[in-house]
Amino acid sequence: MNDMSFKENVEKALANTRLSETLHTFGDGYLIAREKAFAGLDFQALREELGAIKDDVRVNRKALLAEFIKNAEAAGSTVFIAKDTKEANDYVANLARKKGAKTIAKSKSMVSEEAHFNKAMAAAGIESVETDLGEWILQLAGQRPSHLVMPAIHLVKEEVSALFSKDAGKTLAPEIKPLVDYSRKRLRDEYFRADIGLTGANFLVANTGGIGLVTNEGNARLCSTLPKVHVVFAGIHKLVRNMEDAIKITRLLPRNATAQLLTSYITWIRGAVPCDGGTKEQHIVLIDGGRSTLYESEACHDALRCIQCGACANVCPVYQTVGGHVFGSVYISAIGVILTAFYEGLEKAEPLVRACIGCRSCSAVCPVNIDLEAIILKLRHEVTEKYGMGTVKNVAFRAVMKNRNLFHTMIKAASRLQGPVTQKGSVPSERRVIRHLPMHFMEKDLTGWRDLPAIAPRSFRDLFKTLEQKVENPTCTVGFFVGCGGDFVYPEVGVKMVKVLNRLGVKVIFPQGQNCCGIPALYSGDTETGKDLARQSVKAFYNLDVDYILSICPTCTMGVRRDFAERLEDEAEWAEKAKVVGAKVIDASAFMENVLHASEKLKALNLHGGEAVTYHDSCHLKRGSGVFAEPRALLESTGYTIKEMTNSDRCCGFGGTYSFLSHPQISKQITADKVENIHNTGVKTVAVDCPGCMMMIGGALGKQDETVRCVHTMELLADAFGV
Amino acid sequence: MSEELTSLYMEKATLVGCEVVALQDLKEAAEYIKGKAEGPLLVPESTLCTRYGMKSLLQDAGVTLHEGSFREAGHLPAGGVTFSNFAIGESGTIVLDSTPEEMRLATTIPEKYFVIVDPATIVADGLGAVEAMTALHSGHEPRYVAYISGPSRTADIERVLTIGAHGPREVHVLLIEGISSDFMEN
Repeated sequence: MNDMSFKENVEKALANTRLSETLHTFGDGYLIAREKAFAGLDFQALREELGAIKDDVRVNRKALLAEFIKNAEAAGSTVFIAKDTKEANDYVANLARKKGAKTIAKSKSMVSEEAHFNKAMAAAGIESVETDLGEWILQLAGQRPSHLVMPAIHLVKEEVSALFSKDAGKTLAPEIKPLVDYSRKRLRDEYFRADIGLTGANFLVANTGGIGLVTNEGNARLCSTLPKVHVVFAGIHKLVRNMEDAIKITRLLPRNATAQLLTSYITWIRGAVPCDGGTKEQHIVLIDGGRSTLYESEACHDALRCIQCGACANVCPVYQTVGGHVFGSVYISAIGVILTAFYEGLEKAEPLVRACIGCRSCSAVCPVNIDLEAIILKLRHEVTEKYGMGTVKNVAFRAVMKNRNLFHTMIKAASRLQGPVTQKGSVPSERRVIRHLPMHFMEKDLTGWRDLPAIAPRSFRDLFKTLEQKVENPTCTVGFFVGCGGDFVYPEVGVKMVKVLNRLGVKVIFPQGQNCCGIPALYSGDTETGKDLARQSVKAFYNLDVDYILSICPTCTMGVRRDFAERLEDEAEWAEKAKVVGAKVIDASAFMENVLHASEKLKALNLHGGEAVTYHDSCHLKRGSGVFAEPRALLESTGYTIKEMTNSDRCCGFGGTYSFLSHPQISKQITADKVENIHNTGVKTVAVDCPGCMMMIGGALGKQDETVRCVHTMELLADAFGV
Repeated sequence: MSEELTSLYMEKATLVGCEVVALQDLKEAAEYIKGKAEGPLLVPESTLCTRYGMKSLLQDAGVTLHEGSFREAGHLPAGGVTFSNFAIGESGTIVLDSTPEEMRLATTIPEKYFVIVDPATIVADGLGAVEAMTALHSGHEPRYVAYISGPSRTADIERVLTIGAHGPREVHVLLIEGISSDFMEN
């Protein structure tokens, strides 16, 4: 898939509003049901435990595989290791030939999708029938799954009835229950008729030699019971050490996949079980297909912890906007991005790698603690190395941003040049915005649906020089990492933060040598620029005598804290310094609440922020730093009431350059959801802790409803103080 | 046996769509089954089935039993009846060693499935099943163990929960004390 066809697919998907509505309704319902399913359980502890189990399996995989094979063979199974999916298909085709088998009844198996199994069997003259309802629908439609667990989620009952009517040779009504009944009766014949039954496996239990199947419909039980031959198709990463490991996975898998405490069936099969008066012939085909390579990849191997619950799609704003046929290949959404790269090649994965908005929802919901977003970020570096990142980004990141003075000079120049297109934002926000761009071709994607933030006439770094800090006997002194949004677009936020901190007895130091956190370059895959920028800021902060370095942008916080040391890991001295600097960085709200315990003190002041506000949780604040209660506590303690919006922690669609350069159409849709949720609160002020979200939400509100403003928590706190 | 576990199991099994009834004895169970499905029923041989003469009890209650190979019982026979090894409270699950093929057919192909559970065999949660599951897999004998939590279900069309995709549409759990507290037999 090249970039152009990807773009066309995106546009087609965006035109299909029904798909997006379906996925939104599903995603919203999922979150509520999932929370209920996890009631009373410590999800974080459980997923760390599963992650550790799967890591142990990775380390000991060769011994465990040997143990599994030995035990399976002892129980009468025949085990074949296929180096790729073609070998796996060939094995089954040969087996069928030997047995004189004509038909295969198969239950759901993602690795068989990966192998394009049905097509391969058809080519060998063997009829392979899907028996999972969703998969059968797709087989009739000639489509591939658009979700790991609910493969036909993109189709409606009318489409299903049309497909079934064709199969039945008569018209079937578009009513779900009778359609399910039709498939029940119709497919029953297939199990009885089939010469071979094929199933997947959720577990390969090393110390028993058995497999485990987690299912709801019961078709895997029929496929593994009625035909005389049972073939198991399984990726080698399905290994677990023992029954206890497998059972621990069953605690999380159904809960995270479908919010069930357990699926209707879990089936444990070991060896050649009795069959029709004799013994079943059981073949286990263990498929590598790129998994060994992925296991060897230090940067990406966590992806093989995956237990295929599909949750990373359920929470992904990009998936919800364009669906799995666009944001995925055989495997979809976040995990699909990674697996596509390893199983189908980087070229195939390239547009998917770029389509991730970086909101970290997937990383937060993963039941085996895979930091999917971080892995995708690493792949983005690979993609950029190989395929480049486009001329605009090339000039911006490589030529300009690396050179701090040039970058800042250009921004100043831009601030003057934008004069003709800049308007003072209307009341009440009175921010400078760009309503229209003179370049018509960019209008549709860039300013047609939101105002762009304008570059402030004076940057924070200039304003700070004249800022008088009145703190008698400061209780502490902190550093300030302003970030580009705070420096050049919303310098007033930093100014207000300094004023609030002064009131709380804190003095602020601002080293002028600091530069961009590097995340925009990094998220575009430009690791070199990312490294250079990291060195500049580390140098600026390393010798500063402070315990804390405050940030008003959670993406910067994450960039400095998480990424600086990692970016510079090949340069020991810099890495050490980066660690020291990174450990000091903290979001301003988190500092005020967790270090100063400000809300207690503020309550006593009896301030009257007064108005009702709604709070948007920035992706990187909540899922990057775990900060969400802190700004709420601060706002409430200064007299604001918070009226929560639905899905307050769903991405606003910003994603940095994602919304400006690479995927504005997808962003637009995601932002529209956010604006709707804001409107539904009826509140006129949205508080956030991130300049990026301010640009996105503020910009979209500016186009749609100027009576609602988007402000930084620091501004509201300053307002309450009257400073 | 604890009453707490029994009520937890009853609550959770009901939540996943089972009909759960507490009965006095197997005679009452046979009458209950007769009231729900006239037959022919698939009743596989098993240790407990033989020990308690379950087939006779069912026949005495007026239920028709399928004779001969279960593969000849048609594609959608009326019902199946088995005992169970043990049950899991938290998820409303019954666990059945169904290695003999007839045990599998009786629990997969019929429209209705009746399972007899001794409350003494209920464990609290999934982890409580580890020991028994490990024991069931000792040695190298072929083994087919089923966890069954309610009727067969799907949500593959428009995410609407629909019962009776491929397995039994109804699961009736008959709780009867004093049947067997041995997790290794059914």
